[in-house]
Amino acid sequence: MSTTQRILPKNVSAADFDAALGRFRETLGADRVLVDDEQLAPYTKIMMSADKEDHIPSAALLAETTEEVQAIVTVCNEARIPLWMIATGKNLGYGSAAPGETGQVILDLSLMNRILEVDPDSCTALVEPGVTYQQLYDYIQEKGYKLWLSVPAPSAVAGPVGNTLDRGVGYTPYGEHFMFQCGMEVVLANGEVVRTGMGGLENSTSWQVFKWGYGPYVDGLFTQSNYGIVTKMGLWLMPEPPAYRPFLIQYPDPEDIEEIVEIMRPLRISQVIPNAVVIAHTLYDVASHRERKEFFTGEGSIDREAIERIKQDEGVGEWNIYAALYGTPEQIEVNWKIVEQAFSKSGKAKLLYGEEAEQASASFGYRSDLMRGNMNMQEFGLYNWRGGGGSMWFAPVSQAKGSETRDQTELAQQILGKYGFDYVGEYIVGWRDMHHIIDLLYNRQDPEETRRAHACFGELVDEFSKRGYGIYRVNTGFMDQVADTYGGAMRELHRTLKQALDPNGILAPGKSGIRL
Amino acid sequence: MKLTRRQLLRNGLLLGSAAPLTMAAAWAGQATPSGSPVHGAISLYGVDRSTTELGLGLRQKGWTPHYEGRLDPLALNALPAGTLAAGFTDEAGLVLLTSLLKGRGRILALGRHEAGRHHLLSHRGAVDAGLATEAGSWQSALGREYARLALAGTGKRDEHRFQRPADAGGRELSFLVRV
Repeated sequence: MSTTQRILPKNVSAADFDAALGRFRETLGADRVLVDDEQLAPYTKIMMSADKEDHIPSAALLAETTEEVQAIVTVCNEARIPLWMIATGKNLGYGSAAPGETGQVILDLSLMNRILEVDPDSCTALVEPGVTYQQLYDYIQEKGYKLWLSVPAPSAVAGPVGNTLDRGVGYTPYGEHFMFQCGMEVVLANGEVVRTGMGGLENSTSWQVFKWGYGPYVDGLFTQSNYGIVTKMGLWLMPEPPAYRPFLIQYPDPEDIEEIVEIMRPLRISQVIPNAVVIAHTLYDVASHRERKEFFTGEGSIDREAIERIKQDEGVGEWNIYAALYGTPEQIEVNWKIVEQAFSKSGKAKLLYGEEAEQASASFGYRSDLMRGNMNMQEFGLYNWRGGGGSMWFAPVSQAKGSETRDQTELAQQILGKYGFDYVGEYIVGWRDMHHIIDLLYNRQDPEETRRAHACFGELVDEFSKRGYGIYRVNTGFMDQVADTYGGAMRELHRTLKQALDPNGILAPGKSGIRL
Repeated sequence: MKLTRRQLLRNGLLLGSAAPLTMAAAWAGQATPSGSPVHGAISLYGVDRSTTELGLGLRQKGWTPHYEGRLDPLALNALPAGTLAAGFTDEAGLVLLTSLLKGRGRILALGRHEAGRHHLLSHRGAVDAGLATEAGSWQSALGREYARLALAGTGKRDEHRFQRPADAGGRELSFLVRV
């Protein structure tokens, strides 16, 4: 099969699009306006169950400055050309760098990669959307600042702006990234530039330290949305603590999740354990460094016997808790005693840290890195678990309550099992909530399996929503379905805002289910 | 694929010190009839026999493969613009490779070689070869096809599936890119 037809934006003629491309070239230069198939190919790689023909861009534009973004928006408004914005384009498993719909023009901000300021006293940074965590990490190391980042699993190649705008999470005490964002510069659909929070004042000294500014707080409007293009963002950085103790707690049985969460909740709310804790299931733990076929080659989802064998061979628990303590050595000793006491009561938990933990678990090293914001890419190994290039993150939120967690786990395992997929899941524990993160891994080269994965994901969304478990983030193929679960009134509000801020609907139509 | 940056680098160094001798020996005598390469250098990634064979195919068609060891997609950033690269990797490597080429490189062709079939995706027009093994292995046939695509002008996307013996080994992923 071959594709020979030129892909034009919807309702835009070839002549009008050519004219627009000409104007883009005037602004950016020819080498930053990509139209060849082989240049656009990286923007077509998807891992979700959608048809790849539905996610092909008409072109990609590489902007380097806010002024260039303004000029592009002006042209798109005149010609009614839809844009799809990406920062570093590493939203893997959520749509990657591909457009939400075929015929959109990618506005790639990865060349806007300046670190504008890092203040080691206030522990803040101001960065552009193309800055990667690795870049910021290297900068901080070079300067010798005692600051830590909070990074998601694909840390080195992803960036703080894109991750925060999609409301991603990390694993340090600053793990809820949007909570630690402060101030934005945004290009609106009409080409105007607005600075949020304190940024509207000339020479503001508090843009990166005081979030709220004056009047309605609007930063949230530019997350998971299509109301503007964020071209600068402030974030808070964690001061390096004098001491750090990552640790591992293993539990042996499926039902133990209830006990774990009941013990963990008060420790998290009181900040005895301050970081975004991970409770990883056996399969999530092993899938980052082993392949499924080593343990199971049968039909359907991996069976209980194989899971037990993995636990035995790998020395992992059914549930594996990765958490850390931060502070002075004295604080850590005090808090460790509290943790030890809390988790020792039932006699089921195995608590480990230091060399003992490293020897017990192949994942402890990379988890320890993530909990201090070090660069690590171990979780790319998940893609090798089943092979075939299919991956969709299913991400419902739950209360940090044991009964709810057990219900979610069992529901997910039941639905995944029905379709023959594995439960490769973990919980990331916030202050009172948990992000339940499941990687639906499947062979995208097999059309039947891809259809099954699609149906499975749809059923997960439906069934979780029926029980009141909302999805916090989803790939571009399921954005409308998830938006529906939050109700018609919310969708209408989103649409009304879209109408007001982007009356021509040129910014990422369909993002989070929002369009005119 | 070793996945931490540290591991990637360490692994690359280890393999880089051990493998080229055998690779060089395998390629000896495979130069073009005129005795000199025709087209120039191509960086070659991978660590097993498939990579050796791919290199043979490229060399037969006048390219000079430079063996670089296991693919570390992050290391591609350091290659000079315009460098051609080919080889084999795993699923994680392919995800990272394609993602890192965004805005800074070109994907000329990708191949999935699984039990029972080959699936080739070209962004340089039609794929010609059926990866026939009469004249050697399918990997060397792939090398010859990649050699041809490396010289082809910009074309449209083309996908082609070829049969592969069901017992011909596990899944392998190949690539031909220009950074």
